[in-house]
Amino acid sequence: MNGGNRDLALWPIAASAGAHNTDHLVWAFTLVTLMLTVPIFVGFTIFSVIYRDGRPAHREYKEKKGRSEAIELSWMLIPFALTLAFFAWGARMFDIHRHPPANAITISAIGRQWMWKFQHPGGQAEINDLHVPTGQPVRITMISQDVIHALYLPALRIQMETLPGRYTELWFNADKPGTYRLYCSEYCGTDHSKMQGLLYVMKPGDYQAWLAHQGASQTLTAKGRQLFAANGCAGCHENGSTVRAPSLHGLFGQPVPMEAGGTVIADESYLRDKILDPDKNRIAGYKQLMPSFKGVLAEEDVVALVAYLRALGPKEEGASAEDAPDRSTATGDSTP
Amino acid sequence: MSPDGTATPPRQNLPATLRDPRPGRTTLGRPDDYLHAEHTLRSWLWTIDHKRIGILYLLSITFFFVFGAIAAGLIRLSLVVPDGQIFTNDTYNKLFTLHGVIMVWFFLIPSIPTTFGNFLLPIMIGAKEVAFPRLNRTSWYIFMAGALFTMADLVIGGVDTGWTFYAPFSTTFSNTYVLPALAGVIVVGFSSILTGLNFVVTVHTMRAPGMTWFRMPIFVWTMYAVSLIFLLATPVLTITLMLLVMERAFHIGVFDPALGGDPVLFEHMFWFYSHPAVYIMVLPGMGVISEIVPAFAQKKLFGYRFVAYASLGLASVTFLVWGHHMFVNGESETAAVAFSVLSFAVAVPSAVKVYNWTATIYKGSIKLDTPMLYAMAYIGLFVIGGLTGLFLATLSIDEHVHDTYFVVAHFHYIMVGGTALAFLGGLHYWWPKFTGRMYPEAWGRVSAFLGFIGFNATFFPQFLLGYMGMPRRYHNYPPEFQLLNVASSMGSLLLALGYLFPMIYLVWSLRYGKRASANPWLAKGLEWTTSSPPPAHNFDEQPVVDFEPYDYRDREARV
Amino acid sequence: MSASAIPAGPVQIGVEIEEQFHTEKQQRHAAKLGMWIWLATELLLFAGLFLVALIIRVQHPDAVTPAARHLKFAIGATNTAVLILSSLSMSGAIEMSRMGWQRGTVRCMQVTAALGTIFLLLKGFEYYKDFDEHMMPFLAWRPYELAHLPASALFVDDYYVATGLHGLHLTTGVAIVLVMAWQVGRPGYLARHQNRIEVLGLYWHFIDLIWMIVFPVLYLLNR
Repeated sequence: MNGGNRDLALWPIAASAGAHNTDHLVWAFTLVTLMLTVPIFVGFTIFSVIYRDGRPAHREYKEKKGRSEAIELSWMLIPFALTLAFFAWGARMFDIHRHPPANAITISAIGRQWMWKFQHPGGQAEINDLHVPTGQPVRITMISQDVIHALYLPALRIQMETLPGRYTELWFNADKPGTYRLYCSEYCGTDHSKMQGLLYVMKPGDYQAWLAHQGASQTLTAKGRQLFAANGCAGCHENGSTVRAPSLHGLFGQPVPMEAGGTVIADESYLRDKILDPDKNRIAGYKQLMPSFKGVLAEEDVVALVAYLRALGPKEEGASAEDAPDRSTATGDSTP
Repeated sequence: MSPDGTATPPRQNLPATLRDPRPGRTTLGRPDDYLHAEHTLRSWLWTIDHKRIGILYLLSITFFFVFGAIAAGLIRLSLVVPDGQIFTNDTYNKLFTLHGVIMVWFFLIPSIPTTFGNFLLPIMIGAKEVAFPRLNRTSWYIFMAGALFTMADLVIGGVDTGWTFYAPFSTTFSNTYVLPALAGVIVVGFSSILTGLNFVVTVHTMRAPGMTWFRMPIFVWTMYAVSLIFLLATPVLTITLMLLVMERAFHIGVFDPALGGDPVLFEHMFWFYSHPAVYIMVLPGMGVISEIVPAFAQKKLFGYRFVAYASLGLASVTFLVWGHHMFVNGESETAAVAFSVLSFAVAVPSAVKVYNWTATIYKGSIKLDTPMLYAMAYIGLFVIGGLTGLFLATLSIDEHVHDTYFVVAHFHYIMVGGTALAFLGGLHYWWPKFTGRMYPEAWGRVSAFLGFIGFNATFFPQFLLGYMGMPRRYHNYPPEFQLLNVASSMGSLLLALGYLFPMIYLVWSLRYGKRASANPWLAKGLEWTTSSPPPAHNFDEQPVVDFEPYDYRDREARV
Repeated sequence: MSASAIPAGPVQIGVEIEEQFHTEKQQRHAAKLGMWIWLATELLLFAGLFLVALIIRVQHPDAVTPAARHLKFAIGATNTAVLILSSLSMSGAIEMSRMGWQRGTVRCMQVTAALGTIFLLLKGFEYYKDFDEHMMPFLAWRPYELAHLPASALFVDDYYVATGLHGLHLTTGVAIVLVMAWQVGRPGYLARHQNRIEVLGLYWHFIDLIWMIVFPVLYLLNR
């Protein structure tokens, strides 16, 4: 992560002016709440020493009429009034967060068990990781394909739930280049805690270069490989993944044992069925977790994917290492 | 009456006795006390005595607590390593669901009302019984049926939805045994309703002569407020969970957009119950502390009427703030702002109580015995929990820390630091009354310290984790969070000892503890005027109340 | 016991004081208050369903109106009348029990139970007609008449949940009324438990009241 050893850090890096503002609000509020509560702790400590049972002390008190009411009202209303200032501060920032500026670029996000897919205006797509430029308002519109997720960007002090069947959005203006975390923060099932990635905040020039690099034209297999990565297939089907999904290396043309008994040859139509309707031909020995990609993948995407899987077939075992999507280097960055 | 037929000598000067109960009057082993009236198992399981039912609840919720606590220990164990190697993700998800469901529904919500409430509420208002004793027994059976059913489901089958059962995950996507868990929780809800009904009617109709509303102890006020929440909020939960069942079992679309429903509707309906449920857990704790603090300061509770009104105030405002759980789900800006300011307003009645407890001990004669130590620990933790709640109610802070460990730490400070410590404090305070025995004081103090320190060691690091951005319910977390997670797990060991010790020495005291007098703390309140343990019908004679609550004026003569 | 053996009365009435109470007034007060509170929570339970119906109505008027037209207005109206009559006979039972007219009380309660049963039979017939008209969207194996209006299914589902829950309450009510009618016929019951009839009366009136809300909210408002 961003410079130095973060293992011992107790405060997150703030990567935008808004994030700094939230930090200031938190510090100021902490100060005021300490002002309100330290008297309680001090009072309790002092009183339990001075007025300890058996210790001689002046214990007489008179109840003056109206005095206790005045005290009650003052410690109800004064703290309330003080804290209301922070309500107003927070509400004003919230209001800003709800209204993205007109010049914001829009990145669309799709949440799905258990991956994020981001698509940049130029059509560049990425999975779990997100690249954004500094000095430019970025608006992220999001939708979920299944359950409720939430996109959480702690370095920007911001998050928003990603709902099925309804768009939600958030926006930010990052100003500090670096690599940060992004998470799904709304519990969404088995691999909820793996639905995370990295947020790359880049200088505008670097961002343009990255976009240009992403946009290179591709062969069918290369496109399929990209789709394989872009749709999160790699997250489960690559070796070393903790989700127990069948490896697809050398699968093509081989018999596959079925849960209902018997075997099926893994040909093109079988692969297409497994992508679009994974519930149909359940494989023996695996829990059916794979989400359906029906309506997610356009027909040409499916063709490209199947072409890629065919290329992973038994004959080209050696090539698969290079063909494997380079997630490993991406996560390598995350280790500080 | 004693069995040899001689009548217990009637006390002539009853009002005076009530005002100044004599310490040292040991009555344990008297054949007509409620513990020794009958000994058969049937006399316990089929009892209609509110005190025995309170004890049954005490045993039941302790049983559930142990399960929930073991799950919590396993969760902390698993989070020692960042990459989740100890359990599979599914196991971890089932563990935190088990922990949440059991702790919230089968421990925290019933904890103080069903145990202390059942045992003490009738005694505190000078009644022989609750208004509907058979209904009370029925509530316990309903509770046990629902809770055991759900727990069997959680332990044997496993459910991975979290205690919040958010749709559409719970209705369409989860592959676990959600339906039995929902059924059990619905059933337990009816038990809550019946208990609340019983308490409200009891308070309205069963008060002793002279026991006016403003002579009732604060504990009774909080029980009354909690009962109102039970009655008004639980039906909404029942219907919400029924709709979940309908959607999951029959695909009647209510919440899942794929079936034409609306997932945000579930969040609304769920939190409309579950936010008031927070006050079901918090208010009784406040009631307990409001009994302990005056007793151990030997001074009248400061601002009795304000505290009583604050209880009712909390019970009503709590119905207006559910939307603060949903600031980041696309809720309209107007709604978010309104819910935010109302949530700030809830802090007012809560703060009143904390300041009042502080003012109560001013110029008191303070004894730092175990219940008082628990009460002070409670106040410290509750203040931190309450104020971090204000942070969460602040819109732009919530946008950052929503659904992170900051929230986890916050509600554990309120529920564990608050409710569970108040429960332990109350348990020590009334243990002599329940059992007629004293517990070993030194062990009590050690446990109170361990609980307080262990609790802070466990949950304070989680505030930092949350602010640094660690989402809740994460089995795999980035390596930079490991240090604080390990610290939290170490703290939980201390906390576990803080729970384990009382279980051991309280059970030990049942047999070996010193016999308790009727009023070992020189406390006020009708429960201390009857013997320890009380006779089957609570009082030898119908008490007549002609004194104010927390009337510690005689203490001033001793200055 | 044959009905003719029940004395016409008036017999002595009263309430046997349970152990936890001190006076009859206290016991009557507690019993009535308890039932009122229980009914209030029941009302909240139903209120959720009514609210859902109204929200769907506001959000999808185009889908709800055709669905509501499938509800059998005539049966609903008849049932409303039946329940009003049953409330009347229940009130009669309470009045007669107060005067100690044992046989009259039993007869009135039997009439009440009979009217409740008529309601349930009519309701069952209405469900059958709904089934016949393919108005059961939750049956996966049976086509749904208004499948082109997805929101209508929500309304129809809500209708089944609300009326089903009401039917469950009414069935329970009929059972309790029949049992209590048999008990009232036994000698000495009115002398010991007269207030139970009053409490049961509260419950019965409440079930009627729920229907008085169900009928306009589901049948009338959306036509």
